[in-house]
Amino acid sequence: MAGLNGVTISILLFGIGLLGVIFRRDLVVKLLALGLINSAAILCLVSLGARPDGAPPILVPPTATAIVDPLPQAIVLSAIVINFAILALALVFVMLLVERYHTTDSHRIERETAAEEEPWD
Amino acid sequence: MGLILLPLVRFLFGGLSIASGRTSRLFGVLALAVDAVLLARLALALAGGAPSVLVVGGWDGGLGITLVGDRIGLTFAALAWGLGVAVVLYTWKDALRPYFFMLLHLLIGASYVLVFTRDLFNAYVILELLTLASFLLVGYERRPRQIWASLRYLILCSLGMSFFLLGIAVVYYHTGSLDLAEISAQIAADPGSAWVRLAASLLIGGVAVKAGIFLFSLWLPAAHARAMPAVSALLSGLVIKMGVVQLFRLSEVFPVGLTFTVLGMTTGLLGIVYAVQTYDVKKLLAFSTLSQIGYLLIGFGAGTAAARLGALDYAVAHGLFKALLFLAVGEASRIVGTSDLRALILNRNSIPTATRVALIVGTLGIVGMPPLAGFAAKAVLGSGLHPTAFHAAVALISVGTAVSFAKILPLLAARSSGRSAWNHIAAYSWLGGGVVLFLPLSAAIVPRSLLSATWQWPAYVEAFAAILVGLGLHRLLRNRPFQLPRRIFCIEEGTLVVLAGFFLVYILLQFA
Repeated sequence: MAGLNGVTISILLFGIGLLGVIFRRDLVVKLLALGLINSAAILCLVSLGARPDGAPPILVPPTATAIVDPLPQAIVLSAIVINFAILALALVFVMLLVERYHTTDSHRIERETAAEEEPWD
Repeated sequence: MGLILLPLVRFLFGGLSIASGRTSRLFGVLALAVDAVLLARLALALAGGAPSVLVVGGWDGGLGITLVGDRIGLTFAALAWGLGVAVVLYTWKDALRPYFFMLLHLLIGASYVLVFTRDLFNAYVILELLTLASFLLVGYERRPRQIWASLRYLILCSLGMSFFLLGIAVVYYHTGSLDLAEISAQIAADPGSAWVRLAASLLIGGVAVKAGIFLFSLWLPAAHARAMPAVSALLSGLVIKMGVVQLFRLSEVFPVGLTFTVLGMTTGLLGIVYAVQTYDVKKLLAFSTLSQIGYLLIGFGAGTAAARLGALDYAVAHGLFKALLFLAVGEASRIVGTSDLRALILNRNSIPTATRVALIVGTLGIVGMPPLAGFAAKAVLGSGLHPTAFHAAVALISVGTAVSFAKILPLLAARSSGRSAWNHIAAYSWLGGGVVLFLPLSAAIVPRSLLSATWQWPAYVEAFAAILVGLGLHRLLRNRPFQLPRRIFCIEEGTLVVLAGFFLVYILLQFA
């Protein structure tokens, strides 16, 4: 079934993304890996809605016997937009961190934030 | 109608705030007034008999997004409103950009939707919106430590929501519906199938990241401790509760009793262990939040109506006194210049009277002194916990809370000087009034028959015993510091722990 192959790929991508978030130190790469995780979840949802020989659910030809499920595609649009917004805002925050610490290395940033004493005003 | 107007009006005011500049504060007050009217109308509809139900877009029941204005939803919407009032009052004199008010409106508007919704994907969208608004609020002042804390928050929450989306995929594939009522009917017809357990573990693992459960929400101490006081109050008081409400809705659909009680005991005890040995007062409050969520999970998992309603009652109570504590501690830290408890105790005479009273009321609430908020809700919760193991766990967490808060006693017994600003006093009175008058207020969630647990002597004995034992233990443990692993709060380790937590939930669900 087309749906199950897509699911397998999405689980693989999810795993690769997780490895990226855990083992890569660069913040931008972490965000890319997070994007990969989100894309994997989206792929899973879309491929579960797939039907073999299904027609696209937009302009259905009169001879079509099966139509791909439109609901996962609709909800995935929301998910894509949300992930886009999160990625954009997270990149702004990474920019602010780079301005201050001049590095995107998460271990260095962790050490430096732990070391400084922040005065409370 | 009011169900959809509430959040829409809030979002409208949010948009107006960003465009308006100096009048954004007045828009905040206006939004609160309009919300009060709409909430009152919904409450009248509920009191009149049937809760208001709205299917967005006019579709039939199972097709559209169902919003139900039931008791629980209205109570949490009122909590969101009340915390909104407190935050607007507290920040009345602060120089805040309109951007802050827009985020505040987004946060509260999103909370209004989440407490009423019965649709899984709507919950996903709103939880993501809450993540966005809260991480921006944590990083509002743009200090590097706050930005780092909020980035960690964002990455872990985004990961959690991806799990949630996978869970939605599994549920949709097997049931063809996203509506909780329909899913619940289909699961009840065939409770043992494997997909139910997989879906439940994905959904619960996802929401647990937002709901403040120890293994999943390791971003919480840094984010809540480093944010602005008003933002910490909102996060600990409101946003965590939104995750908890979603967990409650899921617990009505999936067979999660054992899982919730085990998770609850874990988070309750681990949170307390960390709270006992920290000397940063904001971190203390944050770890204590992690631990108090343990009460809620044990209550949801125990299965009886008294336990469930008591847990929801406790969620509201915790929202009130934790927000009060964060606001008061924020002011005290601002005056003294640091949030280190030892420095605060040295300078305790410079803390104004109103702040000190607020700290006293909040502390009494959280340790469960009768007849304040914490005691009332815990009594109802305790009356529904039948296996002694659960009762013992709740008692242990109470003792631990008393131990960790005994540290701030020197702060409470001081000779204060100076006056707080009127807006701070107003915010403290608003929240403190809610904490003190909580018993009559909890009649909103808890029916009269269950409330009788609050005037029976076992509850009082338990409460006082927990406080006294806690004070005694604190004296014993005071000069014996112990080391706890800190690396788990970093991003990489945090992600690994979330993964481990997900597998733990999956394994626990096999025994349900």
